[in-house]
Amino acid sequence: MRPDTAPEASAGAEAGTPDGAWLRVHPASPFVRGWVALAAIVFFFFRDTFERMLQGGPLVDEQLAGRAPWLLLGGGVLLLLTVLGYVLSWYFTRYQVAQGYVRINTGFLFKQQRQARLDRVQAIDIVQPLLARLFGLAELKFEVADAGESAVRLAYLRMDEARQLRATILARAAGVVPDPAQPGAVAAEAPEHAVLTVPPGRLIGSLLLSEQSVVVVVGGLVSVALSAVTENRSFYLFLIPAVLGMVAAYWNAINRGYNFTAAISPDGIRLRYGLLDTQAQTLPPGRIQALRVSQPPLWRLLGWYRIQVNVAGYGAAGSNGEASSRTTLLPVGTFPDVLTMLSLVLPDPGTPDPVRIFTAGVNGMAPAVSVEGPAGPAGVPVEAAGSGMDDGGFVTTPRRGRLLAPLGWRRNGFTATATALLIRSGRWWRHLVVVPHQRTQSLALEQGPLARRFRVADLVLHTTAGPVSPRLIQAGLDEGRALLDAQAARARAARKRQTSEHWLDQVRPLVAGASHIEEPNSQEDRQHG
Amino acid sequence: MRTEAIDPPGITWLRVSPKYVTVRLASWALANLVVVALLCVPLVLVVTGWWENFPLWLAVALPAVILVLALWRLLLIPRQVRAIGYAEREDDLLIRRGIFFQRTLVVPYGRMQYVDIGAGPVERGLGLCTLKLHTASAGTNAEIPGLPAAEGARLREQLSARGEARLAGL
Repeated sequence: MRPDTAPEASAGAEAGTPDGAWLRVHPASPFVRGWVALAAIVFFFFRDTFERMLQGGPLVDEQLAGRAPWLLLGGGVLLLLTVLGYVLSWYFTRYQVAQGYVRINTGFLFKQQRQARLDRVQAIDIVQPLLARLFGLAELKFEVADAGESAVRLAYLRMDEARQLRATILARAAGVVPDPAQPGAVAAEAPEHAVLTVPPGRLIGSLLLSEQSVVVVVGGLVSVALSAVTENRSFYLFLIPAVLGMVAAYWNAINRGYNFTAAISPDGIRLRYGLLDTQAQTLPPGRIQALRVSQPPLWRLLGWYRIQVNVAGYGAAGSNGEASSRTTLLPVGTFPDVLTMLSLVLPDPGTPDPVRIFTAGVNGMAPAVSVEGPAGPAGVPVEAAGSGMDDGGFVTTPRRGRLLAPLGWRRNGFTATATALLIRSGRWWRHLVVVPHQRTQSLALEQGPLARRFRVADLVLHTTAGPVSPRLIQAGLDEGRALLDAQAARARAARKRQTSEHWLDQVRPLVAGASHIEEPNSQEDRQHG
Repeated sequence: MRTEAIDPPGITWLRVSPKYVTVRLASWALANLVVVALLCVPLVLVVTGWWENFPLWLAVALPAVILVLALWRLLLIPRQVRAIGYAEREDDLLIRRGIFFQRTLVVPYGRMQYVDIGAGPVERGLGLCTLKLHTASAGTNAEIPGLPAAEGARLREQLSARGEARLAGL
């Protein structure tokens, strides 16, 4: 069955992806995906025979002569059925890119057709698990903000096919109209410009200085101390699973974060990473719903930061390591790196002095004595005008609320530029959340009884599911109410400006913008290196 | 309606039907009475002498505390229902709720993905319905319970029309 159909499919692919042609994924893909099952069957049924072959004995044990052939036959039939199933599933999996949609048909008993609107593509990834990488295959995975279960997967394609298809999808999504005279014309892959890399040393350092390392050290010390005090060795036993878990966690982090590279192209931000399994993500411009720069306390020693993002379809970063690495825009980086990534995500920061504002947002803190004295009239927003000058314009929790957040009240604050709302929080675990105005879904003001007593309120911005949940903590009541109204108006105005899902239509000068971005980078690189 | 502290000034809130109290009472009864009845089992066992070494005070205190909490929540229900309000503005819908823990939510019409109307058995019996707005964010959680069916239908049409006119992508 395979030999007849394979040339046809690959011939179609080599002709460039003519519009509307139904194509198949690579014939080896079900085997790459399901090799574990095949290996298990082979191991389970043929282990005995193999062992005997290796020992040079007769293939079938005389004593078991009645049973062994049946076992082998059963194994063979099962293997054949599995392979047949794989071949059928491959044969019936077809995809098509046409008329603004990607369609994927799967299944031979229960047929399923998925289609995804290209202009709703939120992000597109090329994933290469180790085995696929050995065969030069890749999985194309893209997120569409149409349905609940949004990832559309094509596994596996040859690497160049996958890149070709990615370029086609991104070009269509950007609003490039295919030339009707040349239906087979190949969309050129957008040129890209590397922006930053994370050296392996810094990645390992960031892991050593992470919270889990502190837990490891503290846990180790406690168990040593307990064993010494109680003269009981059994505490070490509890450490074994913990150590195994930790090693796995570290290995995962290194495997996923290794060789992290960010690049900018007109199609968006490209992220590549991975040691054994490699992944190349493309985030088209304007698809990032919210962003968070954070710094755990230990990272402050070396001035490192992490950036995580919400992208529709990526979902929340749960225990699933894959989701958490996909939502990481920068696993660990210096402050110039952070500014570089911010300039990629927000090409137009909407303020004449973005560096000062972002610096204040990430590291800044309101002066301890604000203009509003202890006896000042409560609720009058004078802090904004008075102390704002030193603090990047951040409006922080009024002084009366300091009992609610004795450490954080000078950090907790917000400021709005013309394009984004910045919310910062945390004295030790520093966070800066950036939400572009046109990405605000809905917003709410929340207040509990204690907050009412201090005349403060929380403002929550709702964005798509992800690691970032923007929440302005303990803003003064009047500032919060003013912000609720102002933010609703700003989001409305920003949405009116952004009318099309085709990003080429809205940001024609993006390539110019990318070259514009390079200037501060090169400066920072010089400063940094 | 008394304007609460966190609401934007100058809003005239529309209230949900007072009959919604009945719906809340029904769900309250279903949830709390079952729990209290279950917690009374040790008391019955102790009183009838089946379970001797269980302290009597604990057997009494357990359901009593839960019952007091439940009664407290029961007393709050009418006020909570009165605290639910919504207002249609030019470009967004405002929904407020809560007495102790207040929330004022702003949902821009252009952000609504779809509008749901649902009605449970009690609500249906009273001619009420619950309107639910969905945006791309799961956190929005915008629902207006206890709307009279006609008002719910009107609101749905209104919101759909306005959302259509202002629809934006994600």
